[in-house]
Amino acid sequence: MTHPPSGPALTGAVTAIRELFSAAATSFARTTEDGEHLVFVAADGAGADRIVGVELPVGRGIAGFAAMSGQSIAVADVQRDPRFARDVAESTEYVPRTILAAPVFADGDVAGVLSVLDPAVDASSGWTLSVLGTLGTLVAALMQAPEPAPVSPASPDVQDLDLSAALEALSSRGPQARRLARDVLGAVTQFLDESDR
Amino acid sequence: MSELPQWSADFADDRLGEVVALPLPDVREWAFGGGTGAGVRVAVIDSGVDATHPAVGSVAGWATVVDDPEEPTGHRVVEEPHEDLVGHGTACAGIIRSMAPDVEIVSVQVLGANLRTRGTRFVEGLHWAVDHGVHTANLSLSSRSDQLYAPLHEVCSAAYFAGIPLICAANNVPGPTYPAVYPSVISVAARPGADPWALACNPRPPVEFGAAGIDVEVPWANGGSIVGTGNSFSAAFVTGMVAVLLGKHPWVTPFQVKAVLQAVSDNAVVPA
Repeated sequence: MTHPPSGPALTGAVTAIRELFSAAATSFARTTEDGEHLVFVAADGAGADRIVGVELPVGRGIAGFAAMSGQSIAVADVQRDPRFARDVAESTEYVPRTILAAPVFADGDVAGVLSVLDPAVDASSGWTLSVLGTLGTLVAALMQAPEPAPVSPASPDVQDLDLSAALEALSSRGPQARRLARDVLGAVTQFLDESDR
Repeated sequence: MSELPQWSADFADDRLGEVVALPLPDVREWAFGGGTGAGVRVAVIDSGVDATHPAVGSVAGWATVVDDPEEPTGHRVVEEPHEDLVGHGTACAGIIRSMAPDVEIVSVQVLGANLRTRGTRFVEGLHWAVDHGVHTANLSLSSRSDQLYAPLHEVCSAAYFAGIPLICAANNVPGPTYPAVYPSVISVAARPGADPWALACNPRPPVEFGAAGIDVEVPWANGGSIVGTGNSFSAAFVTGMVAVLLGKHPWVTPFQVKAVLQAVSDNAVVPA
């Protein structure tokens, strides 16, 4: 299954994190609505263009471990880990040696996983997981921020607006967008009711 | 440093400081010397345990929390053998076995392939462990859900009053994570050092103890091992210590366990 890439803010965040850790690559995988998969929505560095859009069952790989346990982990040599998702790494044409993975929380739930591949910084003090966990909260904030509205080339004719299609599209973008859709629908209904009086 | 999660900064050598412990003579020998954890049932509440892994040895009991919308809690417990879904429970069980070779390990699988129900499965599994005769439990997992604050607090208090020490991994994210922040549990974070029996007591809770957990070789799924870093592994080292302590002195209560762990810590001093 393929998914659209994330917005520029998330991509900018994983780029900044890659540079901070002097890492070969970074990625952010978002939990799907049913809670059973992780889908990579932003990445930077080696294999980035190939990993974005890839969807994995929650139990797979080091990222899956962080998602399930809600705990950060660093694995010094993932190639010794028999559950390492080697096939996924090979499909990106970059197979890392070291992976850091931290869960990202939104509204108390695990909403995704932030991964850093082959950081060049010294991870032996354990500070890297602290920093990555902290950065995960910033990614969560970006994740929950609404995407900017597309700029229309010209003011559309009211007759061309398809409200139900717009609300349906909004509803597919997660709980926050669904709440927004309900609010919009409520406002329209209230406006119509008041107009009829 | 103040912007970092508290545990990271607090266990740095230049910040840790001393804690004043009860003046217990030869406490490390009294607590751990010659102990094997015999007679102690340890619950590993996690992703499952691979009983065939040579570092685990054997598993004495099984419980799998599964989703069941027909049940009032949304879950039921199946007491049958299972596999380790990701290797994490096997790592914790192997660490505990390496410290306390004669413990009985009970695998309580609460981590499943669906994240939406992970929190409530966690609560259900912990209730099962408290109600089924375990003497201590390792919880190398955590939740940030405010909705789980009360249910987890309730079951952790029940464990405390039942005399069951719960050893919980702290988290690396800012803000509270449950159950590690409750006073009724023993919260643990990683600190540098390879000695599995080394311990530090943090004078600035909520994270109370620091143990090995950075670049440690631990068993993993499919009979393998990894070199990993995480508070998950630190908690298991402390669970191993607690299992040995309980094997030697079964009457010790959770608050006494904390006092003993403080007294054996590297940074403990006795009052003048």
